[in-house]
Amino acid sequence: MAEDLVLDTAIRDWVLIPLSVVMVLIGILRYFVSKLMLSSQLPDPKIVKEGQVIVRARNLRAAANFIPPKSFRSRRVYFSNEENGLLFVPKGQAQNPQAQMFSDPNMAMDMMKKNLSMIIPQTLTFAWVNFFFSGFVAAKIPFPLTQRFRSMLQNGIDLSTVDVSYVSSRSWYFLNLFGLRGLFSLILGEENATDDTQRMMQMSGFGFDPSKSLGAEKDGLDIVQHEWALPKFEHRAEAALKKLIK
Amino acid sequence: MVSKTEETQLNSLENQVDNGGGGAWEYLCLVRKLKARRSEKVLKYGLSILNDPKKRSALGPEEWTLYEQVAIAAMDCQCLDVAKDCIKALQKKFPESKRVGRLNGMLLEAKGSWGEAEKAYSSLLEDNPLDQVIHKRRVAMAKAQGNISGAIESLNKYLEIFMADHEAWRELAEIYVSLQMYKQAAFCYEELILSQPTVPLYHLAYADVLYTLGGLENLHTAKKYYASTIDLTGGKNTRALFGICLCTSAIAQVSKGRNKEDKESPELHSLAATALEKDYKQRASDKLGLLTSALRSLKT
Repeated sequence: MAEDLVLDTAIRDWVLIPLSVVMVLIGILRYFVSKLMLSSQLPDPKIVKEGQVIVRARNLRAAANFIPPKSFRSRRVYFSNEENGLLFVPKGQAQNPQAQMFSDPNMAMDMMKKNLSMIIPQTLTFAWVNFFFSGFVAAKIPFPLTQRFRSMLQNGIDLSTVDVSYVSSRSWYFLNLFGLRGLFSLILGEENATDDTQRMMQMSGFGFDPSKSLGAEKDGLDIVQHEWALPKFEHRAEAALKKLIK
Repeated sequence: MVSKTEETQLNSLENQVDNGGGGAWEYLCLVRKLKARRSEKVLKYGLSILNDPKKRSALGPEEWTLYEQVAIAAMDCQCLDVAKDCIKALQKKFPESKRVGRLNGMLLEAKGSWGEAEKAYSSLLEDNPLDQVIHKRRVAMAKAQGNISGAIESLNKYLEIFMADHEAWRELAEIYVSLQMYKQAAFCYEELILSQPTVPLYHLAYADVLYTLGGLENLHTAKKYYASTIDLTGGKNTRALFGICLCTSAIAQVSKGRNKEDKESPELHSLAATALEKDYKQRASDKLGLLTSALRSLKT
């Protein structure tokens, strides 16, 4: 239905490939810079303890059916009783961690550094792409799209009759931005600083982490119904032995 | 805890290196990964690599990890000079390192100068109060000096912070058992079962402790845990089989005349006895007579 535009192979040679190469190189550069700027952060004892408490409470929930009911109940009380249960966080304290995190100079600096190292290269590269590579069709997406994507994918191209599958280089930039994560984990090993998308997701749920997860664990623990699995083990043991003797 | 496949792999590598085949470096890496304690072999092969300058430079940055591994193995075998040389080499390369400080503390421990080692560890702890290994070394020191109650106290304090460390729970359980504080040991074993419910070892130890505590309810629970051990090991664990027979006879003795227990697993006890006899016939047939007479006396 739409005419098939023939795209110059020079576009591929001089736009798509250089853009990808540049993004890979910038990613590697950022990785090394982040390694240099790494400041060792002293773990806060309270946070470590909370982390361990959560692991222990989670184990309790997961394997609750393996221990006798009385021990389970006493442990549950230990964790969630009102006065000094480990998981119990009084309402007033719950708001504090986030404010604390921003006022704590080390942590604020760290967050700022990480954000900067992410934002600046992205902004620069985006501006570079816009300046040099705008105003022409760069690639064709192999599947058809609706008209709503036109503004997003075709912003340099001012013709409204061109099929939405033909996109500008800006969309190639975004594609690379999200897609090179896999490549980076191959080249640089896991744990590289280029994991932008992960960090973006983390930024939203930052400060609340400890107290909210404590509360969540407590609720989970309160819900658990203890059903002692051991009696049925006796039957299974019988079956196993019978098989063994045969 | 090492799984069976890993253990066989380790043993085969060890045999290979023993009989002159190559692969010493892979063996050392595997030992390090599995945290197995084969100090003599590690010392022998590690030293042979370190003393050969060609092989040493072939290691690159792993050389320092090897120094650390050999130093610890040397301390375990009481070759303190070797250990001191390794630590000196490490200190030259990494002058301000916590890890080297820890090795120094361990050397003082190995020499037996407990006070100085304690001072070294405390100063290291001041700088980073959350270093798990140093806490554990202090517990080990207290235990080695015979101060078991001090060891228990520091281990409990450690566990208040790091309560997800199952190795520490295991050590605490063994200390309690050695002091016959069985109720506390039972608590520790419960923690271990919670964190790793499919490891039969913990079920077995828990059942042993419960059986030792005695009392009808504990005996029933012990029997259930012996049964779960049998299930988890496919019936091959001799100790659990014996445990079932002993528990059944103990329950019968305690609840003489009250017949309420037969409904749950009437055959378990006789099945266990048969399995035991079969096992003995296969592996230790000369002791079969002892076994049958013992089982018979249990039944009555």
